[in-house]
This record gives sequence, structure tokens and C-alpha cells, in this order.
Amino acid sequence: MSTPLHQDPRLDQAASTDESLLAAHDKLLGKQPDEKGRYKLPPLHLLFFFSGLIFFAGTYLNRYSGMFDARVYNENTLPPSGETVVAKLDPLVLGKKQYEAICITCHQANGLGLPGAFPPLAASEWVTGSDDRLIRLVVYGMTGPMTVKGVLYNAAPMPTIGKVANSQYNLSDDKVAAVLTYIRHEWGNTGAPITTDQVAAVRSKEGDRKPYVEAELLKLN
Amino acid sequence: MSSTSTHAEVTAADTAGRWPVLLLLASGLGWLVISGIFALIASIQLHSPTFMSACEWFTHGRVSALAETTFVYGWSANAGLGIALWVLGRLGGSTLRAQNWAVIGTLFWNLGITIGLGGIATGDATSFALLELPRYVQPLLVVAYIAIGISGILAWSGRRTEGTYASQWYAVAALFLFPWLLIAAQTMLLWSPVRGVLQPIIDGWYVQSVVSLWLAPLALAGAYYAVPKITGRALPSYEFAPLAFWTLLFVGMMTGGRHLIGGPVPAWIPTLANAACWMVLFHFTVVALNLRGALTGGGTSLTFISFGLLAYLAGAVLDAVTSFRGVALVTQFTYFTTAQQQLALYGAISMLLFGSIYFALPRLIGRPWISGSFVRSHRVLSMVGIFLLVGSLAVAGLIQGTELINAKSTFGEMAERTRPWLLAVSVAQVLLLIGNILVLVNFLRSVCGLWCSGVVSEVGSFRQPTTMEVHAS
Amino acid sequence: MMKNGFFFFIGLLAAFVLGWSSIPLLAHKQLGALTPFYDDGESSSFPTRPPGVAARGQLVYADLGCAACHTQQVRRPDFGSDKARGWGDRQSVARDYIFQVRPQLGESRIGPDLANWGGRKPPVDAAGIAQFLHSGVVSGSKAVSHPPFPFLFDDRPVVGEVAADALVGLVEKSSRRQIVPTERARTLIAYLQSLNNAYEYPEARHVAPAAAKEGAHK
Repeated sequence: MSTPLHQDPRLDQAASTDESLLAAHDKLLGKQPDEKGRYKLPPLHLLFFFSGLIFFAGTYLNRYSGMFDARVYNENTLPPSGETVVAKLDPLVLGKKQYEAICITCHQANGLGLPGAFPPLAASEWVTGSDDRLIRLVVYGMTGPMTVKGVLYNAAPMPTIGKVANSQYNLSDDKVAAVLTYIRHEWGNTGAPITTDQVAAVRSKEGDRKPYVEAELLKLN
Repeated sequence: MSSTSTHAEVTAADTAGRWPVLLLLASGLGWLVISGIFALIASIQLHSPTFMSACEWFTHGRVSALAETTFVYGWSANAGLGIALWVLGRLGGSTLRAQNWAVIGTLFWNLGITIGLGGIATGDATSFALLELPRYVQPLLVVAYIAIGISGILAWSGRRTEGTYASQWYAVAALFLFPWLLIAAQTMLLWSPVRGVLQPIIDGWYVQSVVSLWLAPLALAGAYYAVPKITGRALPSYEFAPLAFWTLLFVGMMTGGRHLIGGPVPAWIPTLANAACWMVLFHFTVVALNLRGALTGGGTSLTFISFGLLAYLAGAVLDAVTSFRGVALVTQFTYFTTAQQQLALYGAISMLLFGSIYFALPRLIGRPWISGSFVRSHRVLSMVGIFLLVGSLAVAGLIQGTELINAKSTFGEMAERTRPWLLAVSVAQVLLLIGNILVLVNFLRSVCGLWCSGVVSEVGSFRQPTTMEVHAS
Repeated sequence: MMKNGFFFFIGLLAAFVLGWSSIPLLAHKQLGALTPFYDDGESSSFPTRPPGVAARGQLVYADLGCAACHTQQVRRPDFGSDKARGWGDRQSVARDYIFQVRPQLGESRIGPDLANWGGRKPPVDAAGIAQFLHSGVVSGSKAVSHPPFPFLFDDRPVVGEVAADALVGLVEKSSRRQIVPTERARTLIAYLQSLNNAYEYPEARHVAPAAAKEGAHK
């Protein structure tokens, strides 16, 4: 169009009517892009561009979506395979927690117990001695008198801690193992760690039974 | 310039249907000035944190919410709806129907916003971005909006011609989609709130949808109408306009979620948003090709539309670039995202709307704008203001981003280093505010000319439009 | 499609449904029923429910618009300086927020991230936070680093004893006045102190390939 535009800032002149605007553009839409040679080039460019964008977006989505998994927060990783692996807590940490929740009432934070009432764990031959004896003592508990470091204790029974019938605490095998490992490491005690498997083996061998008495445990080695 | 040519360009349909449109445009411009005042306060607080902070109504969080709400629901919505109704009426070829509904709807819409702003200031804000208006005004907004929208939908369904035009698609899409977006967001965030991080996810989706599928189409409707009307040439590459339209509609909503990069959401949400951000570039390319005639044209409208078009494209490219995680690492959580938002809302949508308003008003009132110098001043102030606003925010954002990456740098140092740029932001807000007061005054005085003809110096200088060439591309 | 009004509306509706289901609905399907994580070793589940006073404090935080300057989301250690700044050792995950009425993720870091602010070292006691909110000055520094919020405090005459949580050193003792945190300030402070998401969920551990391998070896 050669009509010069009106330069009054207060009013922009219209160069075409509404009817012709509608008609002209409607005609453009009805036309196939390849009907005339001169329309061919720009649409080809555009189609190429559009496909490029789709390709790029698709690749990006495939690469960084973490397979649309709700557990993936880092776009560079894939969903964790199989079951969620819960990292094991350090048995000493877990054991300490159990000790502070249960055992500490009688055996005290320093592991010395209360003289005359509750036996000590520090330097106790029961703790550092036989694995089998220690596991049974804690899992099933113990009644009657008991001699620790040459001193007789008969004030209270050792409660049933493990996951067995009539247990007061129902602690799982790994927690029992952890607390036993813990008391073997604390207060200058030394001893091999107790594993969950050892506790499980004892439990499956003995089944549900009543608490031990000292004589039964001393028979084991 | 005879009076008959005036009648040819300013139709009876314009005159009979002008009140709802004038009311919408006037309220929009009024809110724009108010929003500018809030935005100025908020920008001053960024470099002088004690400014007005002792007043509970104007903590930075609340003033920012007030500025944003006024800008989007006050200015952009009113002005965009006004332009959409006008364009749909004109292209429909008949007088706007259901005008009473539109007028009453506008009054209640503005009443709702007024009450809502009071609510935000006194602590009833919902704390969701762009959905800050308190719960109690939300239903009113839906009803008022539908009352306004009916007029536009009727103009579309009752159109005289079989063929349709891009302006109509964009306007109808915006009118039709917004209530769905609003109701979906209200339901999932306010009436029966979803849990935890779903709230920010859905809010991000809503914010993006409001900008991409409501405000941008409203602004595009006006631009698609004004550009070929003024240049007199059919739009180049128009055959791709439908594809560009549907690309925006289908992909635009998915681009919300970019701001959650690295956030507590599954990685696929930002990834999907980023991919969509690149896909939607097709829409922007076609819009640029279609409207490129505006860049060569002179005159007030086309100058604003050119600026808006360039800002619209620049915003899209910036969105796509910052959607890369490596770039987002720096720009995220900084003023740079504010700069992008201002570029989209102010640089693109508002400037396109200004262009349409400058074209529409003389046809609504049957005479030119009353003051040419006000028009020129507004043009200069807006452009300089937006350049300064977006540029300073972007630089401040980059500084802030590099300081944040450096774990040794303190927030005090960051404030110190961004301060000069934040001062420039305040200057930009002052310029924009002055410009917007000028356009409001100019608008009101021009409309007053309808009653007091003494104010008008020159009547009826409309030229007779001609028939558009079909093979002009 | 452009000429037929019916198909045009169907297209609009389809666009809305697709856009709505792509992010909001799919995310809701994945995260809407997220449960707390029960840790057998700890014998308790995480996250813990915040105390009621903290939940109310979050609403104060929200209505003051604190999220305009503070985020509450930690990015993973190899993405930004979040860990180095002591904001959190691990990336925030969706599970952190399931008990929050209005999660305040925020989008702007004009101030520090607050996701683990209550658990930071050394901790700030309630009186210290109150002092900071009132004056905007970190104790021991002179510069104002935060907008002061005096409206969260009551300046009232001393009746009987001085209130236990009254701010110290602000008024002359002889004036028989005291500045006391309001109910809103108290809930806000309780909320800030409750912000602590230290527990490592399995999905939070699974953030970098190297870290995942390390976990498998154990």
C-alpha cells in the first residue's frame, strides 16, 4: 500500500475496512501452502523449525524426566530400582537409642547398675562372655537370683525384651543385636558385635519359652 | 475530510456499544495508576527496607501482592476485556449485545477487586501468587467475569460472516478459558485445598495459564486487529496462524512449573515445563511473522504494538533460555525472574494493550485523542521506563544470582551491590507512573468531549478506509 | 475448525483439559496421597506434625507476605550454595510439606532460606527472634538488615510484674512501660522455631548418582 500513514499521534487512520480484512484473511486460510510457488519456501522453513522444536522438546523430556517417577528429584537420575533401600543405621547409634529407651532405667547411663539392686554391665562377664548366653538372657529375660562379678543380685527379674511370647518390649532382632553390640562397646567393654542373624537363630531355635534361670544359662557356653 | 467518511470508519455499532468498552478501559487505566503507586512503594522498599514497613498494611510482601493484583486483575483484565469486546463487536459486524450485563459485570468486578485489595492489606491474602485476593471475593469475581464475558461470546456466536479471524480466536479463547482456570485454581487451592507442595505446583500452573492463555491472547486479539487495519495489508504467513494459536493453547499451560527447578517436586514437573517452553516458541515465531508489518509502520498504535511485539518475543526467548537448569541455577530466586515477569506483563501485554487502546478510543468516541503531546510523552515515558525497569532488574538479578552462588557472600553484601540498580528500578517506576497518569488524564478528557464539545478542537478527521488487497503477502 | 463454532469450543475445552491434567492432575495423583515415612530404627514417623501454635504462625507468615523475600526450599547440595550456606544438608522433598496448611515455598531470595531455620546452629531463642522482628537489627550489629515490624508488639504500661517475654533494653525502667510480643508475634516465633526438616527420607538420599551408589554399598 502506498498510502502514507497519517502522522497525527492522536489518531491512527485505518487503511482497510473490517469486511475486507475478514474476507482477505479468510481467503488466505483457505489456500493450500503449495498452491503457488512463492508460498512454498517460508512454510517449509516453519515446518522444519516446528519439527525441530518437537524433536528437541521430546528428547529433553525423555532425558530429564526421571521416567515421570515421583521419587526422582534430580533430573539426572533414574528411579531407584526395586524396593526402596533404607540405609542401615550404625548399630551403635541404634543400640544407644534402645539402651536409652529401655535398659537405662535399671542399668544406668554409666552401665554400673545400682549396687545391691541391679547388676552392672560394665566389665560384666555376662556381657563380654558367651554370645549365646547374652542373647538368650536379653531376648527371653531371666528370673531368680544371679551372680555378677561375684556379687549376688535378686531384687528384680530381667524383663523379656525380644519379639517372643509375653515380651514386655517386643524389640525386633536387629534392635536387640544393636543394643547388645552397643553394650559390648561401651564403658571399656570389648567384644565381638552381635549380628541380627545370631539373634534370629537363637529365636528360631528356642521358639516361645519362659524366661531363663541362671542355672540354665550357665549350662551353655 | 467530510463527515461521511467519519461515519464509514466509526460505525453505528461502535457508537451504540461504546459504554461497556469505555467503562472497562477507564477502570483499567485507573487501576494502572493505582498499581503504579503500589509498585513504586514496593520498589523503594527493596533498597530502603525500613520504608513504610512499620505500617502493617504495607509490608513488602503485602505491597507486592497489592501491586501485582491491581496490575493483573485491575488493569490488564479490564483493558484486555474492553479491547476484546470491542474487537469481537466490530468483527462480528453488529452492535454489542448484553451490554447491561457487561456494565454490571464490570462494576461488580471492580467492586470485588476493591474489597479484595482491602483484604490483602489487612491480612486476608491467600498467599498464592496471582490468587492473593481473599476467599470471600473469589466467587464474586467469577460471576462478574461471566457477566462481562457473555457479551463477547454473543458477539462471536452472532457474527455476520462465516469466516473468522485470528483476533476472534484469541479473544474468544481468552474469554472462555479464564473462568475454567479460575474455578479450577479456586477449587484446588481455596475451597478444597490440595496437600503440601501440590499447592505451589498448582499455583504455578495457574499463574502461567493466566499470563499465557488469558492476558496474552487478550492483548494479541487487539494487535491482530489493529496491525492489518492500519497497514492495510493482509498478514504475511497467515496460513500458520491457526497452528500457532493451537500451539499456544495446548502447550502454553504446561510451561508453568519452571520456577520449581531444583525445588521439592518430582523432576518431571520442571522438565515438562521446560520442554513446553521450547515447544511454544513456534507460537511466538508465527506471531512475529504475522505481525512484522507493525515494525515498519509509523503512528502511535503501531509504535506501541511494535514495542509490545518485540518484548513478547524477547520474553519468550528469555523464558526458554532460563529454563535450562544451568542458567536457572543463577537466575532462580532473583530479581531476574521479576524482570522476566515485568517484561511479559508490562513490556509485552500492557504495551500491546496501549497500542489497541490508542487505536480504539477515537473510533469509540468519534474524534481523536484530545492531547497529542500527552500521547507522545506517554510513549516516550513508557518505553524508557520499561527499558530501565526490565534492564535494571535483570542486572540486579544477575548480581544477586552470582552472590547467592558464592556461599561466602552475605546478604548484606548482596544488598549493597544491587542497591544502585534497585534505585534505577524506582526511577523507572516513577517514569511509568507519570506516563500512566498522563494516559489516564488524556483518556478521561477525551471521553469528556462527548458531553462538553467545547473541549474538542477538531472533529472528524477519519479517512475513508479502502478494501484490503488479498494477495498482498 | 476455525469456522465451525462447535468444534472451536471443543478444541478450547480439550486444550483446557489437557493442560489441567498434564500438571495439576498428574501431580495430584502422584503426591496427593503421600504418607509420612515410618522409620523403624527411630520408632517414629517423619515429618512430625507441627504443634498447633506453629501451624497458626504459618498463617501469620503467609499474611505478612514473608514469602516475598524468603524461600523455604533447599536445593540439592550439588545445585547452588544452599548446603554450603547451612540452609540444609539435603534437598527438600515433597514429603517435608505434607502437614503444612499453606506451604511457603517462595520464589525470591532477598533474604535467606528458612526451610531449616529453627534447626540452625547456634539456635536463636524466642527472645532473640522477638528482638530481631521488632528492630530489624541482628544483635551485635548496627545496620538494619530486615524491615522492622513494630506492629507485632504491644507497647503497654506495666501492671504488676513486667511480662516474662517483654523485650529488654528498649524502654526506660522508670517509664513503667513495656514492649510485649502480641499473640500473632508469639505464634510467628513458634513457627520459625519449628522449621526444621533434618530427617533424611529415602527419596531425599536418592539425589545424585554418586550418593545412590554409596548407599547401596552400605
